[in-house]
Amino acid sequence: MLIKFVARRLLASVIVVLGVTAVTLTLMDRTRGAYVPGLDLNPALRPEDIARLRADLGLDQPFYQWYLTWLWNVLHGDFGRSMIDGSSVLTHILERLPNTLELTLTAVVIGILLSVPLGVIGALRRGSKTDHALTVFSVAGFAVPQFWLGLMLILVFSVTFEHYGWPWLPSGGVTSPFGGGDIGDRLLHLIMPATVLSFFYLSLWSRFTRSSMLEVLSQDYIRTARAKGMSERRVVYLHGLRNALIPLVTLVGLELPGLVSGGLIVEVVFSWPGLGRLAFERALQYDYTTVMGVVFFVTLLVVAGNLLADVLYAVLDPRIRYA
Amino acid sequence: MDRDGEAEDKGFEQFERFLEDWSRRDFLRRMGGAAAWTAFSGGVLEFLDACAGGTTTTSVTAKKGGHVVEGAFSDVRTFNSMLSSDTASNQLIGLMFDGLLNSKKNGDLVGALAQDLPKTSADGLTYTFKLRPNLKWSDGQPLTADDVIFTYQLAYDPKYAEVASPRRGDLSKYIASATAPDPQTVVITTTQVFAPFLVSHGQYGILPKHVLGSLSAKDINTAPFNSAPTVSNGAFKFVSWQSGQQVTLARNDNYWAGPALLDQYIYKVLPDSTTVANQLKTGEIDIGPVDPSQYDSVKASGNTNIIEFPVAIFDFYAYNLDPTKLGGKLFGQKEVRQALVYALDRQSWVQAIYFGHASVATSVEPPTSWAFKAKPQVVYTFDKTKANSLLDAAGWAKGSDGIRANKDGLKLQFEMHTNAGNKQRESLLQVMQQSWKDIGVDATPKLIQFPQLVTEIVSTRTFDLFLVGFSWGQDPDEAPLFHSRNAAPGGFNGADFKNADVDAALDGALATLDKTKRKQLYYQFQDIMSDQVPAPILMFNVGIWATSKRVQGADFGTYNQFGNRPWIQNVWVTDGK
Repeated sequence: MLIKFVARRLLASVIVVLGVTAVTLTLMDRTRGAYVPGLDLNPALRPEDIARLRADLGLDQPFYQWYLTWLWNVLHGDFGRSMIDGSSVLTHILERLPNTLELTLTAVVIGILLSVPLGVIGALRRGSKTDHALTVFSVAGFAVPQFWLGLMLILVFSVTFEHYGWPWLPSGGVTSPFGGGDIGDRLLHLIMPATVLSFFYLSLWSRFTRSSMLEVLSQDYIRTARAKGMSERRVVYLHGLRNALIPLVTLVGLELPGLVSGGLIVEVVFSWPGLGRLAFERALQYDYTTVMGVVFFVTLLVVAGNLLADVLYAVLDPRIRYA
Repeated sequence: MDRDGEAEDKGFEQFERFLEDWSRRDFLRRMGGAAAWTAFSGGVLEFLDACAGGTTTTSVTAKKGGHVVEGAFSDVRTFNSMLSSDTASNQLIGLMFDGLLNSKKNGDLVGALAQDLPKTSADGLTYTFKLRPNLKWSDGQPLTADDVIFTYQLAYDPKYAEVASPRRGDLSKYIASATAPDPQTVVITTTQVFAPFLVSHGQYGILPKHVLGSLSAKDINTAPFNSAPTVSNGAFKFVSWQSGQQVTLARNDNYWAGPALLDQYIYKVLPDSTTVANQLKTGEIDIGPVDPSQYDSVKASGNTNIIEFPVAIFDFYAYNLDPTKLGGKLFGQKEVRQALVYALDRQSWVQAIYFGHASVATSVEPPTSWAFKAKPQVVYTFDKTKANSLLDAAGWAKGSDGIRANKDGLKLQFEMHTNAGNKQRESLLQVMQQSWKDIGVDATPKLIQFPQLVTEIVSTRTFDLFLVGFSWGQDPDEAPLFHSRNAAPGGFNGADFKNADVDAALDGALATLDKTKRKQLYYQFQDIMSDQVPAPILMFNVGIWATSKRVQGADFGTYNQFGNRPWIQNVWVTDGK
């Protein structure tokens, strides 16, 4: 039954979240050494100041004790304050989460919307010039590093276009710093980063859809449908595509973690104020509270994504109902 | 180090900033970007520029109104002048909160909230400041001496001991009392004659007592004011802060120097120097620091005016002189230390590593300092012959494997540490390794994480030789690196350098306000340091800033980079937008 299945998956998710956060904290703590987060190396600070700072941050107790205190607070909704600047972690995350989601969801949507038709065309026109062209495109998209692509786009569409006086795209940020903020401005800023982020997945998913379609179209039930006189369009799209999408759903679900954290590179190249960039910058500074808060959120998103994928699985394919 | 107050970058936090500038990712991106940029548009741009001819803009009358966007690569942490210790925060604080004094670009102090420099008592212990008349906060409340006293109390008064101020160590050591005999007068008495007092501690942004005075010490650490100041006394006042994106400021009409010409000032947070350079080129930002590697490409775009000036930021390496450690045995002899410096062809590094934007250090003091001695006792040129002969004379003969060893068979072989992710420093280690190999010294570079490097330098001292960046403030004092008391764990004298003459010179120069006497002592100090070289300063950096052609009135200089910009209210934009 679907309910039992979902309940079991939820329990597994809780264990995953606990495990990931515990490992993250262990890694940070073991590599931190004697460094006190937020301590700007100031020769004027006395040892007693540093000791007091350490005690204030709760770093003079064993780290598993810190973890348990943190966990208890989180379960009460208190994500604590950043060790670097004392600001509320939850505020930070909630400020940045919409930015990351705006970017990654756009990339996923572009990816799916474009890869399905491309994959279907490749499968239907298998062996033709179109198919070969699409294959080359896929391999290129897979091989190109995101930071390179991002920088190239900035160089062409921002710097070079601006230099020649052509309409140019802004090279970073979510909105223009002055006089921006409306939906048109946001879209302009979103174009390049979303393109870069979706490029990789587009190439991957279109290949996948293509091979999945080819496999499905050679199945017996497709022959049966054709033999029964069903129109080719219904055969391909209603019966064929729906089944071919199942592996794609898994793939998309698996990529969700990559999007929230793999978006890091795009976020940095395009100065996008997202969660990935926040976690990265703070991890380098050993800001436990912020990093743990972000990791917690990201893990939640990941397990939610996986759960969603599995539920979609079950919905799309009646054969799959985990007993 | 708090030598420079909130004005300039402090010691290691400055090279922390360089770490952010020069991460390995940066380098990859920069190389990819730079290569593609040259490929794409190098030739075409030159052709276009040649066609376009010269451009002259002569706008004499300053226009009111408009905005300026400045790009920088760190986010702000706090707007509280007594809690801040990073460049970005100090920069924004400097725009919103004036201190008693400010600095001109050559390092001279000028009056800000104080009418002029303070009167000093004959014994050099008491400073009397007279505030300007009719000072107001942005909300119309009068700014009086009580606000000044309150601000300083946050860092030195025991009743505010819980305020997490990085200034507490210095201020509680040096301030005996701070009083306000009348609303226009501030009297600060120090515990001992301390020459850098005004430069280091006279420039902190003054905080409003009528807003923060009612809070307990602990509450001040987490006060909402720290992330959204409700009142300010500087050229601009706070409007909004979108963390990770930008800080927006608006003109403060109650500013003592008159309302600024701009309506708005926007500080945009960007991840690295490549993005800053790109946005300078497209015009998305109007002002920004330029990394030496980006200089040529920003200049070629033709959209900006670029200004370059020497700064007191430098790269240096230090020998571990602790006699119980390997470094002590290898580098204990002065001749060895000197020889290693003679073997370095530093002039060639200016172009190779710093893209032409640096100068070879001839002394431990920066060329920008009034105490700088251009030719100290020993001047190090690139002299391989001399290096070899010094090592031979010191008893380190070349072995059959080409590596020198002393009479006991100890090889001149060691590790050099620096922080990973800083391309400049990694390159420096490589050239040093090569130069020293040429004279029979086997040095191996090792890259470690920045926090671990600092722990090594400050506490554990488990290194043979380390390379790092640092910066000096406006005062020529260099005790944090070279005084023997800072050799104890917790101090920055990682080389464990202990020299009684140096201690005496440094202490003497701090204990007098007589500039001539101080200069004499610093000259002595530089002579000894050039001879002893426990921690040779290699190169002094150059500050490079670009402003878009529409920005006028910006006057960047050696000590007017980040926190101190006494000219900011005169900045205007030609299009008035």
